Parts: sequence; C-alpha cells; structure tokens
Amino acid sequence: MNAWRTGRILTTVLIGALAVPLMYGVLHLPPPGQADAPAHSNVSAKYIEHGAEHGGSENLVTGVLLNYRALDTFGEVLVIFTAWLAVAAVAGTARQTGHESTPPSPIVDYVIRMLAPFIAVFALFVIVNGHVLPGGGFQGGVLLGAMLILLSLAHGGEPVADVVSLRTWIWLRAAGVLVFALVALLGLPLTGYLFGLPTDPTLRHALMIVLELGIGIGGGAVLGGLYFSIAGVERS
Amino acid sequence: MNAATSVFSHIDYLVAVALFLSGAWILLTSNNLVKKIIGLNVMETSVFAFIVTTGMIDDGAPPLLAAGVEGPFASPLPHALVLTGIVVAVSVTSLALVLVLRIKAELGSVELDEIESVGEHDDSAGPGGGSG
Repeated sequence: MNAWRTGRILTTVLIGALAVPLMYGVLHLPPPGQADAPAHSNVSAKYIEHGAEHGGSENLVTGVLLNYRALDTFGEVLVIFTAWLAVAAVAGTARQTGHESTPPSPIVDYVIRMLAPFIAVFALFVIVNGHVLPGGGFQGGVLLGAMLILLSLAHGGEPVADVVSLRTWIWLRAAGVLVFALVALLGLPLTGYLFGLPTDPTLRHALMIVLELGIGIGGGAVLGGLYFSIAGVERS
Repeated sequence: MNAATSVFSHIDYLVAVALFLSGAWILLTSNNLVKKIIGLNVMETSVFAFIVTTGMIDDGAPPLLAAGVEGPFASPLPHALVLTGIVVAVSVTSLALVLVLRIKAELGSVELDEIESVGEHDDSAGPGGGSG
C-alpha cells in the first residue's frame, strides 16, 4: 500500500504541474469566438475566401479534406486500414469463442432489422452529399459501421456473411485506400499533380463523390471489421 | 482585463483543460486497463473540443457556403484536423482494446496488480511457466 500511496502523491504533483502551465497558457490565448483571432486570420481566411472555388465544394471542410489537405486524408485512411490489419493480427491468434451471446427479444430484433436499411440509405445520402451538406465519407462510413455493429449485436456473427464473399469483404476494407490512391494517381495526367483534382466542375464533383464513396464504404467496412475482430465473430 | 473576466471569457478552454487533466488522472491512477483506455479517450476528446473551440466564431455560420448564408464563417481547418484526430483515436482505441483482450486471454485479468502477481507465480513455478 505504501507504493500505492507514493504513486498517488506523485500523480497529484504531476497533474498539478501540468495544470498550472496549461491553465496559464490557455488564459492568455485570445478568447474563443473572436473573429479577429489569429486562428481566423491567415490560412482559414484564405480557405473561406477561395475554398469553394479552389476546393470545388460548398462544404469547406470537405474542400479542405479532399483538396487542400488530400495527402493528410490519404494518411488518415491508411491509418485506420493499418489499425484494422493490426487488430486482426492480434485478435486472429487468440480467438475468444465459447461465449454465445443470448439472442435479443423479438421486438429488438425486429426493430433493428427494420432500421438497418434506413441507416444504410441515410449513410449513402451523407456520403454523396458531403460536398454540399454537413457530412462526407467519414461520417457516412461511421453510420455504415454502426449499422454493421448493430446487426452483429442483434444476430451475432457477421451480418455480411450471407451477402458478401470473404474475398470481397476483405477487399472492401481496402476500398478507401485503393480509391484514394487511384484518384491521386489520376491527378497526374489530369492536372500534373498528385492528388490534383481537375478544374472542370462536373468532373471534379464526380471525382469527389467517388473519393467520398471509397472513404465511406471502406471506412464502414473497416469499422465493422474492427468490431468483428474484437468481438471474435469474424470469418477466417 | 482582470482575472475574473478572463476566466469567464476563456471558460470553454478551461473546461477542455480540466477534461484533459481528468483524463490524465484516470490514465495514470487506474489499476484497470480498460479504464486506462477510457482515460486516454477522455484526454483525446478534450483536445478535440479545444481545437474545435479555437475555430468557433461568435454568431458565426458553419463553413457551408450556400445561397443566402452570410459570414462570418467558422474556420473549416480545425474541423478537418479534428476529423483526422478522431480517426487516429478510433484506431488507437481499437488496437488498445484488442491488446487488452489478448492480455485477458493470456493472463486472466485486466487489473494491473493481478497481472503482476501472475508474473511472480510464474517465476516461482520455475521454467516453462511463462506464456500460457
């Protein structure tokens, strides 16, 4: 218990030592919400001024994600795909079977079955409207992933097992990375730059929707895969 | 500006700092690995809240350009950065959770003190008592 007490005291001292400079620093920032704060004056102001024209998207966040900081977003897609690879590698060697989940009541089961198609349609709506409305690939992908997790919670096992073959299901998880890499390479002949999007508005919108679909479907599949791996219900 | 008004006008930032410190406290003091992951998530969330708050403008519109919407617009950059952060947080959390599952499967516990005592028993049991 003595070591425990020393640890507590050390932690309190550390948290206190962290609290003082953080509070001090934060109090000397410009207060949040001021329009003339540095956070709003340089890069952000340019994004708002030219974002719709350069980024090709009325939703400026999507413009930043898919155009200004496309390399960043590519890394993001790669990170979550790599995370799934790592999770599958760790989970695959120690399969936690034996705990059969109890089936939910028929009412819960019915409601989840009824809800799932609507969630999927809403997810698709969020994905393809990412350039005009709040939303985009990641948000829609999370909705798709939540639907997969909900179905898996209700029925146990992989809800996509009857619909998608194992090979397709694995490739689907790489969809985000592959589509993004393809569009990035397509930028070379079209604009001369990696990750460049063409200036023709129709073509650019089409490419952005393709990107969003790739991120959304790939992200949803990865999120579902993360849950299936952790829950130990994945096909192998 | 005196200290009281300064605290009042920066209350959003101060709440984020308080959340960050509580997350750090949970992370450092919990004995349970799952609670440590929750503490890490609280810390991450506080950072996201802080970054998004810097992009906020009083009476501003969201950065969606549409007919009839007048500025000032909130800054789109923090939103995009936080989206990246959330994806990384999800990845880290899922990897941490699956590692905790693995620890539970191998050592039978997610409590740090119990895991340490498992190690001691294995040592006294002689060679071959390592990984189960």
